[in-house]
Amino acid sequence: MSQPIMIVLFISAGLAALGGTRAIGGPSLRTAQSAPVKESWQKEFEDTCSKTQDAMTFSQEELTSLISRCDDLQPQIEKLDETRKKVYLRRLKMCRGLYAYVLDSKRNEKK
Amino acid sequence: MPMCWTRRGTKRNERRRPFLALLCAVFFLTVPGPGQIYLPPPPAEQPSDYGKVILNSHSSTAGPGPVVFDHWLHRAKFTCRLCHVDIGFAMQANATGVKAGTNRQGFHCGACHDGKRLFEGRPIFAACSDDSKGKECDRCHSLGKWGVRKYNYDAFTAKLPKGFYGVDWMAAENKRKIKLVDSLEGISVKRVPIQAREDFTIKARLPWVHPILFSHEQHSAWNGCELCHPEIFPTARKETVQFSMFLNIEGRYCGACHGKVAFPLNNCCACHPLGPFWMAGKLGKTPDWVLFP
Repeated sequence: MSQPIMIVLFISAGLAALGGTRAIGGPSLRTAQSAPVKESWQKEFEDTCSKTQDAMTFSQEELTSLISRCDDLQPQIEKLDETRKKVYLRRLKMCRGLYAYVLDSKRNEKK
Repeated sequence: MPMCWTRRGTKRNERRRPFLALLCAVFFLTVPGPGQIYLPPPPAEQPSDYGKVILNSHSSTAGPGPVVFDHWLHRAKFTCRLCHVDIGFAMQANATGVKAGTNRQGFHCGACHDGKRLFEGRPIFAACSDDSKGKECDRCHSLGKWGVRKYNYDAFTAKLPKGFYGVDWMAAENKRKIKLVDSLEGISVKRVPIQAREDFTIKARLPWVHPILFSHEQHSAWNGCELCHPEIFPTARKETVQFSMFLNIEGRYCGACHGKVAFPLNNCCACHPLGPFWMAGKLGKTPDWVLFP
């Protein structure tokens, strides 16, 4: 294959890679928007803070464990950009606060 | 004439004087917080203005002018929890740090107002979008601008049941006039539906007031658990939280919402359904008429 044809093919492939994926990128973009790839801290955040509705049903040990997971998440969230940090730290604070509140009430019940 | 009582020269009045002084002293010293009886809550605004928040941390300096946020419009569609827990709006005005940039990034108003998310089959307009070229700016940045708001309170709430003051939101939901969204895809954490919490009574501090009937079920359905605990109600230990109407009026405890967004504090019977003791048995099921000015 001659060199100009190779160059043309190479450039075409490059353009296809850029423009083509963008052209077919509508659905994938939509997919990416509706189900964005979650970072590890986010998965852990969702798993930890998805249980607030059930907080009253947990034992003291479970609540202590959840509080500890919240504490572990905090330094990871503090590394995020300003807005995400502010939003997620507030959410984490509320979530941790609730578990601590329920734990306190359970300890108080036993007294 | 009452003046006659204190007129000198009458032995009978002279004898009464110490008794009256003693009676007054006993009344003011022993009745807990009698001043609460005479202190009216802050005057309520018009229902259309009630819960209105002016956001002006950055928008005046940035150009488009302050944002007017109407709680009534959003609370007819979404739970308090969705915005104040999942999206992260603070409970105090201008404490969230909303900026055009954060909206464009998909936070704060932009969590819903991104031009793509659908509500009732229609896309929600994008907040602070570069594409709108100023057409949509005035919908939110509307302070002092006439006729730029899309929704009018009277028209919007025309079919919603009314209560003592504006819309009766509980009745509106019970009658299925409104259906509140409690989860936002991509923002909210997936969770199980909340278990109904039991309602309970709280003893009033004033001896002449019937207990508060607290609707834990309704509050937890709209607020979740973490909006109230522990930030507003910091402890579950009995006898440690000393509620009072003074503190509520200051914006603490119930006053964090009631008196600002939720029904006003002068709607006494909404919390004390039996009213004062002397009215026991005389109030019906809708005792909204007992109110302070």
